[in-house]
Amino acid sequence: MTQPEPHVISDEQGNAVRDRPWIIRTYSGHSSPKASNELYRSNLAKGQTGLSIAFDLPTQCGYDSDDPIARPEIGKVGVPINSLDDMHILFDQIPIEQMNTSMTINGTAMWLLALYVGLARERGVEISELNGTTQNDLIKEYLARGTYIFPPEQSLRIIAEMYEFCLEQIPAWNASNICSYHLQEAAATPAQELAFALANAISLLDLLKERGQFDDEQFERSVGRISFFVNAGIRFVEEMCKMRAFGELWDEYTKDRFGVKNEKYRRFRYGVQVNSLGLTESQPENNAWRILIETLGVTLSRDARARAVQLPAWNEALSLPRPWDQQWSLRLQQILAYETDLLEYPDLFEGSVVVRSKVDELKTQARAEIERILDMGGVIPAIESGYMKSALVRSMSERMSAINTGEQIVVGLNKWTDGIPSPLLGGEDGGIFKVDESSARDTIASLEKTRASRDSERVAAALAVLQEAARSGASMMEPSIECALARVTTGEWAGALREVFGEYRPATGVDGQKLSLDGDRVDQLRSRIDLLAQQLGHRPRIVVGKPGLDGHSNGAEVIAVSARHVGFDVIYSGIRLSPDEIVQSAVEEDADVIGASVLSGSHVELAQQIMDKLVEYGAEKSVAVVFGGIIPPDDFDTLFGLGVKRVFTPSDYQLIDIMESITEVIEANQEAS
Amino acid sequence: MDSLEQALPGLVREAQQLNKMAVARLISLFEDDREGSAVLRSQTLRLLDANPDTDTAGRRGRILGLTGTPGSGKSSLLSRITVDLLERNAELSLAVLAIDPSSQVSGGALLGDRTRMRFLPAEKRLFFRSQASQTDLGGLGPSSFQVCRLLSRLFDCVMIETVGIGQSEADIRHLADRVYLVLQPLGGDEVQFLKAGIIEIPHAFILNKSDEPTALKSFHHLRSSMWLARPFESEDLPIFQTSALTGAGLEELESEMLRQIESGGTAGLEMREPYFLDRWVHQEFGKSGGRFLAQQLGGATVFIAQAGGYEQAQAAFSQAFG
Repeated sequence: MTQPEPHVISDEQGNAVRDRPWIIRTYSGHSSPKASNELYRSNLAKGQTGLSIAFDLPTQCGYDSDDPIARPEIGKVGVPINSLDDMHILFDQIPIEQMNTSMTINGTAMWLLALYVGLARERGVEISELNGTTQNDLIKEYLARGTYIFPPEQSLRIIAEMYEFCLEQIPAWNASNICSYHLQEAAATPAQELAFALANAISLLDLLKERGQFDDEQFERSVGRISFFVNAGIRFVEEMCKMRAFGELWDEYTKDRFGVKNEKYRRFRYGVQVNSLGLTESQPENNAWRILIETLGVTLSRDARARAVQLPAWNEALSLPRPWDQQWSLRLQQILAYETDLLEYPDLFEGSVVVRSKVDELKTQARAEIERILDMGGVIPAIESGYMKSALVRSMSERMSAINTGEQIVVGLNKWTDGIPSPLLGGEDGGIFKVDESSARDTIASLEKTRASRDSERVAAALAVLQEAARSGASMMEPSIECALARVTTGEWAGALREVFGEYRPATGVDGQKLSLDGDRVDQLRSRIDLLAQQLGHRPRIVVGKPGLDGHSNGAEVIAVSARHVGFDVIYSGIRLSPDEIVQSAVEEDADVIGASVLSGSHVELAQQIMDKLVEYGAEKSVAVVFGGIIPPDDFDTLFGLGVKRVFTPSDYQLIDIMESITEVIEANQEAS
Repeated sequence: MDSLEQALPGLVREAQQLNKMAVARLISLFEDDREGSAVLRSQTLRLLDANPDTDTAGRRGRILGLTGTPGSGKSSLLSRITVDLLERNAELSLAVLAIDPSSQVSGGALLGDRTRMRFLPAEKRLFFRSQASQTDLGGLGPSSFQVCRLLSRLFDCVMIETVGIGQSEADIRHLADRVYLVLQPLGGDEVQFLKAGIIEIPHAFILNKSDEPTALKSFHHLRSSMWLARPFESEDLPIFQTSALTGAGLEELESEMLRQIESGGTAGLEMREPYFLDRWVHQEFGKSGGRFLAQQLGGATVFIAQAGGYEQAQAAFSQAFG
């Protein structure tokens, strides 16, 4: 047998082979279980090889669809799941024993896994055959994404109990997925992404070890169950190096810190969704190229290739993607995996001096940061002290500052901004997706049907056992499965645990921001605001908050800090507020303006509710309202019609413009009174 | 401001019903440092005193101060205490004034205490207002005293939350009937408790985050530091060990606060007017203003009596000195 050429991948018999492609997925789910089921079946028919389920915010935050805080959000960013009945509809005609199912679910991850197990039991499928992932990384929820429910200690306990349950019962299930994805979306640098994600995983393993439920052999296997969910940005060479650094660092830490002997269990397993932060609202068609380039970062190098890839859609900065937009992204993956020769070669970068040096640099930076966090006592203290959050918020403001000054070029946004309008936006729907309003009614009707038809004694008993386990420290996994089978609802499950654990309010990222807000325009605006303060008898006051359940708070925090910087008194009222709470804040504080940030697509409903509440208090004249977020231009007039004074979107990236505009609103209101 | 003058009687009546919009607008009036506003303040106080709320029969609300370093968990504690107190006493009404530092560069402030509060929708008995200190160290703001004069006439209890150590605690001792200092467990060095004299100010201590491992050690350190710092206290000052996270120790603290509130109203802010007039003079007119008040006008107490009230004294001083 001759030695194979170095550019060939060969099997054990020495035959040249081609690698199997990664799992190809599309992150999707919307409107209702029925609509999502149809979408999944059509995606599978198009050659998709795994499911990636998006849940709506009430499901993610543990509320039933008919809860007042849930209503504006039903089916907006994903599918609503209220009970096991909904799971039967969602997976209708989909053989779950053959599926690799990834669920983007965190605060209620244990519940969704319990529902999936309940579904398998009622279908007669062995649960050991199930295969998939519950995202279940609460650390990044506290830092960036915001759908946490319980305090960090209890959240980590839930994650640990899921590992303990899955290891023997559903061995191919990833109980959690350590996410650096969302850290990059919050503008983490590659070194921060490496460090925060690895520190997170290390702290989780420390906890599993400390709980003492596993013997050494089981612990080693549980290390092998840790998987990661990573982001890939536009600096694709550095991103490829980052992935190599991830693999090497994980191998080193699991060997040195945890003594894992079997190399298989030290392997860095990861899935990817490429970056959305860098996708632009202006000239959105350019995003197609960005997505392609970002995909190369996580597929080019065989040694650091993703196990599963899902791609955003070109129009994500405008709205939720339509089925066609998702299909376009799916085709990109298929062309790369099946048309090109990428999968025929061994690692292309083996021996590259440049790549080696870059990887080493990233590793050194990341190690220093990891040690700093471990010195603080691990990720929980680093979260609770606000250390990690402040670091991210600083990175975000540095990024924005670089874009503002033109130091970082974003084509179509701060350079080459003139272009021919995109015909892609010309269709009947304007290139954006709208949730069918009637689907929310159907969802609530089916919830009411479940409640009416279930055995209420079994429900009460199941919830009591769950709470008892929560109090005593016993595993909550089996009690949750019984809850699922008894037709307990999502809101009831989370509500029962809220009673025991309380609800977490995190450190905000409003400290430690560095803004690129200076120069003459800032000085002029400060003088203008001083003058306004004299006219008003107080410094202009703005209430900044996020109504609804969407927890992406970084944008709101940047606005809050910028407003203070130019001289506003800023009342930062946080996330997950009902319109009633936000209006009550504005009334009690005698605020001049409410700045509401919404990224979930519920801006019209929320604006309507805020306006109604202001009228109820008699404050509609004294308090002006401005909105910011992912808001399609088509909705501007609706919002203005409701009385919203300004709408800011990602294309308004110049903070000084936004601040001047808000000041104008207050000035106009002052003159009118 | 003319329109406000006409609306004042109605606004005062609504505020006495704890209508949020009316209370909020009156607070703004008491924060307003423009010239014409003082007259309206006197008028408001006259209206309130002439027609006291029948429930409280002219009784003034008790003023409790909650102070401590950033990170000690004051806001989380406050969010639980307020809701619990309202639940334990169905008659009670409560106003919170949360004061945060301002930026010296821009003058603006970031008032973040609401993020941790839990609000009961449409609950009139709880009112929360943020205020900027207008200094970068925290402590009381220039109008905190003014706002308390109003709120203590409307609510059974006013809780003032401040950040900072040092001078600001001295101020709050002059404003509040009872001051609680919130501390978090330390590494175990008792000298830290003695620093900056913070231990000398409060009437009671709250050692928060008692769920943390070092809490018990810190409790003993605090107790022994107290014997050093305040050897002449006849009784041991209370130390409440609490955890806003688990709820441990809150019941005891809340019972003590309820006793405080129910035991009677504030000692009367009139008694505190001289201190705050003196403070105002120093802030507005500096040291020479302070000397003028003390030496030429016979001091704050005498001058207020001569002028016929706090507002009048402010106006008269501005005229005499300015």
